[in-house]
Amino acid sequence: MLTVEQNEELTQVGPGTPMGELLRRYWYPIAFEQDFDDVFTKSVRLLGENWTLFKTPKSGRYGIVAEACPHRRASLTYGVVHEDGIRCGYHGWKWDFDGTCLEQPAEADNQNFRDRVRQKAGKAEVMGGMVWVYVGPDPAPELPRFDVFVMDGVKDCGYATLPCNWLQIMENSVDPHHVEWLHGQYFEFLGQTQGFDAPKSFQKKHIKTGFDEMEWGILKRRVLEGSTEENDDWKIGHPLVFPYFMRVGGAGIDQMQIRVPIDDTTTWKLFYSNHAPQGAEPADQARPVFYEYLWRDEQGRHITDYIEGQDVMAWVSQGPVTDRTQEHLGRSDAGVAMLRKMFKENMKKVANGEDPIGTVREKHDRIDLPCEKDKFGAEREFAEAWITLGSSRYSPIKQDLLDLHNRAWANREKSSASS
Amino acid sequence: MSDLPPDPHRLPDQGEWFSADAERHLLDRPKFCPMCGEDLEADGGITTEYWAGDTRNFMTWCGDCGWFGEVVRFDMVTIQEEEH
Repeated sequence: MLTVEQNEELTQVGPGTPMGELLRRYWYPIAFEQDFDDVFTKSVRLLGENWTLFKTPKSGRYGIVAEACPHRRASLTYGVVHEDGIRCGYHGWKWDFDGTCLEQPAEADNQNFRDRVRQKAGKAEVMGGMVWVYVGPDPAPELPRFDVFVMDGVKDCGYATLPCNWLQIMENSVDPHHVEWLHGQYFEFLGQTQGFDAPKSFQKKHIKTGFDEMEWGILKRRVLEGSTEENDDWKIGHPLVFPYFMRVGGAGIDQMQIRVPIDDTTTWKLFYSNHAPQGAEPADQARPVFYEYLWRDEQGRHITDYIEGQDVMAWVSQGPVTDRTQEHLGRSDAGVAMLRKMFKENMKKVANGEDPIGTVREKHDRIDLPCEKDKFGAEREFAEAWITLGSSRYSPIKQDLLDLHNRAWANREKSSASS
Repeated sequence: MSDLPPDPHRLPDQGEWFSADAERHLLDRPKFCPMCGEDLEADGGITTEYWAGDTRNFMTWCGDCGWFGEVVRFDMVTIQEEEH
């Protein structure tokens, strides 16, 4: 339970807010490379502000500036993209990648005027088929090259825009017990009443859970009924990657769950997976496959007969911003309390001029994150459930993914039979 | 007698189902760090209340000294006896 002021402080992400200032110290995916196949500009919204994302026609360099031109506030998304910046379509004021004003065609060539106006600008780079942006203060950190985005394999990513604050989604990531209930008992109830088999591996009871603060956020561990601390779920665990990811995986699948704070009541939620099961060579892939997953039916009811649909129901039904003055936490919510402390701690670091946790300043090729390989002790069932009972059910390459895993499994069985 | 200054802390609407619990949280949460004694709120600290059995537990972080632990309110000290 929190006070009204603490709830607001933790959930407001706009410019000048303590959380907004903290969140602006990180890079965010905000579009797909393929979005720019036919156009050079796109309006995007991030952290409560509207931006124009653009790509130069020849060099393919990306830039991001605030959408409203400082002249008369028209949208720069309807501007002309040059190799050195973007020109407003309304009166031709031209801005470079850093927001410096290069030209004001209808004004006398007066350096003073150009120097007195500046456009808000960030940085943009491509990784893993997505366009990532940084809209915080200089010097910008390096874009962290987390393993899932750069490893070899078949990449498949579902996305949707959800009408809720990103923090209540993050709190789900340090709440291990919900798996046993939401994806276990509730899923079983649906299966029995609607006539399908819900996966049993999610129904296992939790014997012990643990949370460690680590360099990227919070490492989550669990011991399930029938397992011990020697199993991956405890020995390795998986991390909540501060401030807006969760890394999960198992059975040859690695995934980053991404929660981009669009504004106080909207989150862009992506499930970015890499499939590389041992025993099968994945086909070459020019680009990741991106698709929208459904979470509401035509009547407006939540679709809850798949894993992520159940999570979305829990997040969205808490309201646009969860009223934490009305919550009643228990001991099993200790991870949630720990996460809130981590946010406060890092807000204070930023206020003191320090880098928050997870800031990367060194050039690097890849950042490997700890993650279970054997998940819930249910390898083959886990991979099948992931694809057929997860958001990948909406993937245009769903069958290809199933075939890849089945092929890998068959090859591994053949190989162990002959050895 | 002069009027009290306005309460700087806001509460949820009285009509809310759990407004009494929210009021108690505001009144009962730790105000000062158990380690350094500094004002928890003024130094950017946080205390999250959760319940366990009959106790009200406040997981608390002090923004000044970094102390991270729990402050527990209880009406009766109870001891769960181990098997013996």
